[in-house]
Amino acid sequence: MQLKGLQGGLYRPLSPEQIETIHDAALTILEQTGMGYENGLEATVEMLEDHGAEVDHKSRRIKFPRHIIEQAIVKAPSQVILCGRQPEHDLDLREDKVHLGTGGAAIKIIDLETKELRATTLEDLYEVSRVVDQLANIHFLVRPCIPTDLKKEDYDINMFYACLKATQKHVMSGVNDEEGLRRVIDLAAMIAGGKDKLAERPFISFITSIAISPLKLCTQSTLIMQEANRNRIPVAISSAPMAGSTSPVTMAGTLAQLHAEELAGIAICQLTTPGAPVLYGGIPGLVNLASMGYAGGPVEFGMMNAAAHQLADHINIPNYNSAGLADSKEPDAQAAWEKSLTLILAAMAGSNYIHHSAGMLESMLTIAHEQFVMDDEIIGNCCRVLKGIEVDAEHLALEVIESVGPGGNYMSSPHTMAHMRREYFQGNGVTNRKSRDRWEKDGGLDAREKAREIAKKLIANRETAYIDPDTDRAIRDKYTIHLKEEK
Amino acid sequence: MTTFNKISQAIVDSDPGQAISLVETAMGNDTPAVDILNKGLLAGMEIVGEKMESEEMFIPEVLMSANAMSQCVDVLKPHLSEEDTGQTKKVVIGTVQGDLHDIGKNLVSMLMESAGMEIYDLGVDVPPDAFVEKISEIKPEIVGISALLTTTMPAMQQTVEAISEAGLREQVKIMVGGAPVTQGFCDEIGADVFAPDANAAAKMAKAL
Repeated sequence: MQLKGLQGGLYRPLSPEQIETIHDAALTILEQTGMGYENGLEATVEMLEDHGAEVDHKSRRIKFPRHIIEQAIVKAPSQVILCGRQPEHDLDLREDKVHLGTGGAAIKIIDLETKELRATTLEDLYEVSRVVDQLANIHFLVRPCIPTDLKKEDYDINMFYACLKATQKHVMSGVNDEEGLRRVIDLAAMIAGGKDKLAERPFISFITSIAISPLKLCTQSTLIMQEANRNRIPVAISSAPMAGSTSPVTMAGTLAQLHAEELAGIAICQLTTPGAPVLYGGIPGLVNLASMGYAGGPVEFGMMNAAAHQLADHINIPNYNSAGLADSKEPDAQAAWEKSLTLILAAMAGSNYIHHSAGMLESMLTIAHEQFVMDDEIIGNCCRVLKGIEVDAEHLALEVIESVGPGGNYMSSPHTMAHMRREYFQGNGVTNRKSRDRWEKDGGLDAREKAREIAKKLIANRETAYIDPDTDRAIRDKYTIHLKEEK
Repeated sequence: MTTFNKISQAIVDSDPGQAISLVETAMGNDTPAVDILNKGLLAGMEIVGEKMESEEMFIPEVLMSANAMSQCVDVLKPHLSEEDTGQTKKVVIGTVQGDLHDIGKNLVSMLMESAGMEIYDLGVDVPPDAFVEKISEIKPEIVGISALLTTTMPAMQQTVEAISEAGLREQVKIMVGGAPVTQGFCDEIGADVFAPDANAAAKMAKAL
């Protein structure tokens, strides 16, 4: 069952009037309050000034008259294709087409063998990425954890290397600086067989968190974004305000501010390189009001991320958002409901690129192998919902009903044989529907234990060399790669 | 309810108007300022701390309580001697280099301030040298270092190292905190105290 790129648009928390109101409010915010900036962004600010933005250099504030934003954002493409290494893994981001994958920058992992919490390493990044590669319902890989065993200078190149070696799905990540970006583009070009080939089929893309909410441009991320724009590598312009601390406590206020931050970011991107591929990266979040810590598990997180897709769709730009985060510390029942609820809402909305949707626990701080397996199952179920119920002659099965007749059964009808595996979601084996007796005989494993078992099997599978040996050698000659060479 | 209890309650209720009016009435009745401070205001903040820990109170309410507390202290100040308040602890605090997030750090500053400490806030993206410079100048008892991003945590280590290299390590207690920071990380980089949340930070600083 192909469950990638299905059509959402089934859940729309905002009415068309509400979308208009929020869009207009965002333009007002940019016109009246504007965006702040810091040192090092002079060239960008000058560019904006040339296009008619009003800049107060003393208070470092950029105010955007409406027409600048409106003229800039229409240049952004309404379709962005993020490629896999093979076309079957391409993601066609447009309209209400839904894709889900991993996300995050976790620093802790629940060890697969000991179940103890420990710091994530480069080896972990490679291993969980291999698990993701083999889980059919996870459509892309955003680097899920930080290799805390490396020096910061070695992060960028090694993170991308580990991901690209582990999977043929699309790989996205942030980088630390422009130098890191250039090196990563070079690495990907070596794998693609040239910079042109990479630009033709960009199987990597970047997250640039250019907005520090509320309403401030991050110098480093803005420069990274502009460099990526010039290289025609797709970027997700991320902005992640938290309702109650870095945005108004109300959902509407958070969405308005978030939309303003996105509009400013997209405008800068399109003024830098008109037509540059960009994703609207608004991730409206919440705080735990009792601690001011991040909260990604509340149902309102799902509602607001659904709304963020609507706002992106309103300006005809594909979006990147989040769902499937959990605030639970362990792969437990709380994690399951937090993930299921936010994922189904974001997916039914039609979000184009939902990251953070697999593997994450503890408000993005922790990952677990078994969580990726369980989340693959949740994602698959969500996508199945999008597929809907087909009603045509074949699916109505009137002839079959007639031939079986009253009192018969459908178990051995060819129609059953033809449809049974396609009509219903077939999971990865983690969901158990056996009788209690049978289940006990099989070891009585609960979902988490079953998922651990599946993860171990996936890891034990033969490694696929997604980087050929010659290229691998050339990369290792040029850069300090810390991931062990194959034995 | 005694006057002190009422003042405590006004602090817990995050009601600056009520708190100030009660403090002023008490002053008019010749209640010693030091008693109003200790038995009324600080006792109230202690309850606030407990309610914060049990998640009965939300942070915006806690901030309003801290604000009520500091307004009342302003009223009392002219009537308090140095003996009354004891020696004030000095804290230098900042978010590490490369990190621009300051909500948690600001929260810690506010709670430490309302617990009677003197705060020198260096802001965000603070280079190790800036910490060193301020420590030499102010000679604080405590240095608070904050990071939110997992990618800026290494800068915490560099900051601790810079303080050691400047020969200031023995003079200060270094407290670390921020969403990704753990006790293990604190031990690893040779800091003294790990504060898991803002209330704990204020409490621990007071106890140091």
